[in-house]
Amino acid sequence: MSEIEFEIDGKLVTANPGDSIISIADREGIDVPRFCYHKKLSVAANCRMCLVDIEGSPKAQPACSTPVANGMKIHTRNDKAKSAQKAVMEFLLINHPLDCPICDQGGECELQDVAMEYGTDVSKFNLGKRIVADKGIGALIQTDMTRCIHCTRCVRFGAEVAGIVEMGGTGRGEDVKIEPFLTEGIQSELSGNMIDVCPVGALTSKPFRYEARTWQMSAVETIARHDLVGSNIYTQTYRGKVKRVVARDNELVNETWISDRDRFSYEGLNHESRALHPKIKKNNKWQEASWEAALDFAVNGLKKNAQNANQLGVLASKNSTLEEYYLMQKLARSFGSENIDYRLDKADLSIRNKMLSSITLAEMESVDHALIVNSYLRLEQPMINHRIRKATLNGASVNTINNKKFDFNYRTDLEVLCSPQKTLLMLQSILKSLHNKTKTTAPKNLSKIKIDDSQNKIADDLIAAEKPVIILGEHVNSNISSSDITDVISEIAALANAKIANLSLSGNSLSAEKVGFKPSIKGQNAASMLSENTKAFLLMDIDLNYDFINSKLATDTFNKDDVFVVSLNSFEDEAALINLDVLLPMAGLYESSGTHINFDGVAQSFSASVKGPGDSKPGWKIIKVLADLLELKGFDYTDSSQVADDALSIAVSEDNEPIEKNIKDSDDSQIAIHWQYSPYAIDGVTRRAKALQETQIGKMNDAFISVATAKELQLTEGDLYHGVPVSINETIAEGCVFVHTYQSRKG
Amino acid sequence: MIKKVKKLVKDFGLGELRTGLKVTGKEFLNKNITVQFPEERTPISPRFRGLHALRRYPNGEERCIACKLCEAVCPANAITIDSEMREDGTRRTTQYDIDLFKCIFCGFCEEACPVDAIVETHIFDYAFESREGSIIDKKGLLAIGDENEEEISKARLEDSKYK
Repeated sequence: MSEIEFEIDGKLVTANPGDSIISIADREGIDVPRFCYHKKLSVAANCRMCLVDIEGSPKAQPACSTPVANGMKIHTRNDKAKSAQKAVMEFLLINHPLDCPICDQGGECELQDVAMEYGTDVSKFNLGKRIVADKGIGALIQTDMTRCIHCTRCVRFGAEVAGIVEMGGTGRGEDVKIEPFLTEGIQSELSGNMIDVCPVGALTSKPFRYEARTWQMSAVETIARHDLVGSNIYTQTYRGKVKRVVARDNELVNETWISDRDRFSYEGLNHESRALHPKIKKNNKWQEASWEAALDFAVNGLKKNAQNANQLGVLASKNSTLEEYYLMQKLARSFGSENIDYRLDKADLSIRNKMLSSITLAEMESVDHALIVNSYLRLEQPMINHRIRKATLNGASVNTINNKKFDFNYRTDLEVLCSPQKTLLMLQSILKSLHNKTKTTAPKNLSKIKIDDSQNKIADDLIAAEKPVIILGEHVNSNISSSDITDVISEIAALANAKIANLSLSGNSLSAEKVGFKPSIKGQNAASMLSENTKAFLLMDIDLNYDFINSKLATDTFNKDDVFVVSLNSFEDEAALINLDVLLPMAGLYESSGTHINFDGVAQSFSASVKGPGDSKPGWKIIKVLADLLELKGFDYTDSSQVADDALSIAVSEDNEPIEKNIKDSDDSQIAIHWQYSPYAIDGVTRRAKALQETQIGKMNDAFISVATAKELQLTEGDLYHGVPVSINETIAEGCVFVHTYQSRKG
Repeated sequence: MIKKVKKLVKDFGLGELRTGLKVTGKEFLNKNITVQFPEERTPISPRFRGLHALRRYPNGEERCIACKLCEAVCPANAITIDSEMREDGTRRTTQYDIDLFKCIFCGFCEEACPVDAIVETHIFDYAFESREGSIIDKKGLLAIGDENEEEISKARLEDSKYK
């Protein structure tokens, strides 16, 4: 592109044709006041605050919507520009209330800052000010629409980024109101970003309301760990507590946005069920103990119950840090046990059930076709869904193969309903179709498989696309043939020249994979540990009622008298305490330093934002001391960064099981259940975040069943299925129950 | 030589004593300005910056809206505030402490307050019986305000002409 040369405030600069003046001014560090312009949103040019003087132009021009031209001479601070900006400011302040002292935006308000520079202290306006009645828009965002200056950033955010037009401007002139169209409140999973884009105090964080002033808090750069993206955030802390979470720019990871889950989950940290002191169970009674006593008790119990090293089992959730995974598996392996696992919610624990992604986050937005398999991408991985949405805006097409029809925020071409039992067969048909179309010989095991139109269409779309991606979501985890599914997907991808995005490993699973937090061939996996002769368990960050695919088996095993269970956890609740012997309080999210490995394989380290409450200690320190007390060698760490260095430098040897290829006869007689937690119930912290639970997404509580299956199960609308109300409709595949809920898994 | 003579005359004529007595004599006849504190008190400027108080509106509602500007402006970090949303949705303090050992009585808090809630009264004679007593909490500050509201508002009114 040919560059053009022009002058801005006497400085000669170059830019590409089509660049706006404001973007160049930002690049050059020249401050142009603005309200409606946002680098990630379309240009509206409706606030008029960024008026600048261009030589030769009779009137000042808005810098955001005026493209630069060769030889232009722009003045952002001369008398003409300044007087235009001051005049605009005066108009904006006509209706803006003077309630800065009680406004949560006070101190970080763009209007306040600009008014300090361009505003006058006395208003010429002496008529009544406009007042706008508030309509509540949900549990996350507090509205004070009287403060609104109609910049429409939130409206554009909804239409362009969130993909759900929920806010809009109604009325004209003085009577313009920005308001939600529906009364149920904002439902987007990215809605919290509206708080960040709002330049005034019209939209502020509801859970944070009146908690602290912005200047009192210190911001700590850290990483959100609820999904595969590892969004970059700031935690804003005040008196040792995380008070608010805001997005931090990182083009490669989360751009400027973060999901509501990352933004509001911090509330769970202040929940009353935090574990504050070490506790031990002596003679079936719980008592608080000092760290020394609790650790001694734990070590003695572990030694006594795991006389053979392989009687020790180590389990962790998928939300621990790289350091914790590394030290925990090192502890187990030094102890002599290979019984290590984090895949608690997977039905198929075969070692070959591992498929690596071959695409980066940034590449996701340039694909031209996506095949989404077994995922409600929008809610499960909001930031990845956002990239796919960007791709669809550029013309990409999307096909889905799911148990249920989901509400995506972009157009999907073909939504194929397919029960978990038939997913493998479905994918094999697509594979066979691809073989037919590419004129390659299909393996013998596919010979009996039939192909229908939709499978042909999916194969056609994959072949026709130049940069297709196949996305495998987390619903596959409850599928007993998930390793076969990943194999078939790998073959499809190879044949169609498609990239793979494996999103079934969520949270910080990639860290667990990195350090080999799973059993080698000699060890036992999560399922066999629970059903076989394991006498001592070390649990890290596990909620017994929620995290296991078979929680009854887990609680029964832990409840046995001859099984000794040590749990490192940030929370204690009555139900879980029954099954444990020692509870060691662990620092929670944002309270411990650590590392998260994201979808791109980038290890993002972070420091602790605040200290854990009570006696709780960072997980890696607890494991280190436990290892020292167990007299294991090689735990001389003084800092978590040393652990991370070690963890990142080890290469895990992969034991590969022999691959047997055969078609499992699909068992149609049984009804498959997929228990999917609502995105705001995926881990201990989010489950305890109050505001998130009050949103539409947080309140999801439905067992979706098709009409025929409901008949078979003799259920009617509104009945309880494992405690979840039944919803009968045709958007779900035959022969399966899709439970989407915040409730814990039963049975 | 002349200087020496002058000095001798002054010394032997009790010159210094008479100078001193002249002042004494003058003051002896003047009106007495010593006041018998605490029974008697000197007049105080309406701008006097003494002990702090939190004020209320005439309807009994506390003025403070927990904006924390006084806390921010305080050069001695003497003010500690915690806020919350009260049941009626208004922004209120749950804690408002002033440490009088830290306070330097500069009056910035009063200047910063957008609702004239925190004021410095004319009270300057107070004592603590313990170290903790130096910290006055919200209840105490409101009590001081309630007790002295009349004088506080009178002083503000007198001074308003010059603001």
